Amino acid sequence: MRITFVKKILANGQPCAKCADVERRLTASGQMARIDRVVVADERDPQSEGMRLAARYAIAAAPFFVVEDGDATTIHTVYLKFSKEIFGRRAEAVAEAQEMLRANPDLDLI
Amino acid sequence: MAEPLARSWAEPEATPEEQALAVLEDAFAEFDRIAISFSGAEDVVLIDLAARIRAGVPVFSLDTGRLHPQTHRFLETVRKHYGIAIEALSPDADEVAKLVRDKGLFSFYRDGHGECCAIRKIQPLRRKLMRLDAWITGQRADQSVTRSDLPVAQDDLAFSTAQHPIVKFNPLAAWTGTDVWDYIRRREVPYNPLHDQGFRSIGCEPCTRPVGPHQHEREGRWWWENAADKECGLHAQNVAAPIRRADLPVQRIPTRMTGR
Repeated sequence: MRITFVKKILANGQPCAKCADVERRLTASGQMARIDRVVVADERDPQSEGMRLAARYAIAAAPFFVVEDGDATTIHTVYLKFSKEIFGRRAEAVAEAQEMLRANPDLDLI
Repeated sequence: MAEPLARSWAEPEATPEEQALAVLEDAFAEFDRIAISFSGAEDVVLIDLAARIRAGVPVFSLDTGRLHPQTHRFLETVRKHYGIAIEALSPDADEVAKLVRDKGLFSFYRDGHGECCAIRKIQPLRRKLMRLDAWITGQRADQSVTRSDLPVAQDDLAFSTAQHPIVKFNPLAAWTGTDVWDYIRRREVPYNPLHDQGFRSIGCEPCTRPVGPHQHEREGRWWWENAADKECGLHAQNVAAPIRRADLPVQRIPTRMTGR
């Protein structure tokens, strides 16, 4: 299994706060050791690797994770869901739902 | 009840109404465990369209506990008008109680609407979708910038898991607000009376307000929140046209539905 973590740099050059938060959690939990690559989606550079990955997989929000396992590639846009499914770490359900909403802003209009 | 149905929605000359009918017909043919998500607003059009295809369409609605009384009454109007059951999905009582106990009844004005929506909408929706293989929404591309590329059928990346893929149909994706209201008037579809009071988007009572004729409907929701809350978005102008996603190991989507 090969895991790529994609984090974003805003158009003003600042790191995306949510990406920084997820990176902190990855580090604190020790999960960062199991991340194979960290890639930047730089809004100032559409050709940056992270932006190209976002375009390739039609991802609209950062951060996200690309998990390659044999022939299968899966994309995870919700950190807590990713953490549960890939690392087996259970999150509080409401926190996970909140993160799902952040990653999928249309859901609040349902 | 049955009416002549549309041609394939993939045909370029199909009208939005024909396309929506064809999408619904395909969706119902493809999935047994499928239901319409009804918010009690303009998406009543979905129910009217579905009722033209088959009787007793499965419908659920997220009863957050904070809806306008007019919306509750409208749900009842729709239930009777179409002779359908509407499953009201309630939030988990313990989760609501904890939120209210810890943060009060209006925490969203201070903390943002995320936590409240997660408890009152996302969690009940997630529980419902665990029992479905596909769902149908009234989402339209013209409703927000984040929906501008909305397809009529998509792998639901938000709720799918590796073990349980879910498909989301958006039959009204190509409709405009004008299309919706032309349809409602032409077919005399019942509608939520809040629309006559200037509400374009109708959600929970504390979080929804009327908008002016030239305001976007999204401006009628969570108006107190800062646009910075959306900073995680990868801005569309910087993201090249997406290719077909090869992400989730989801079930096959009929070829016609991915070719739009």
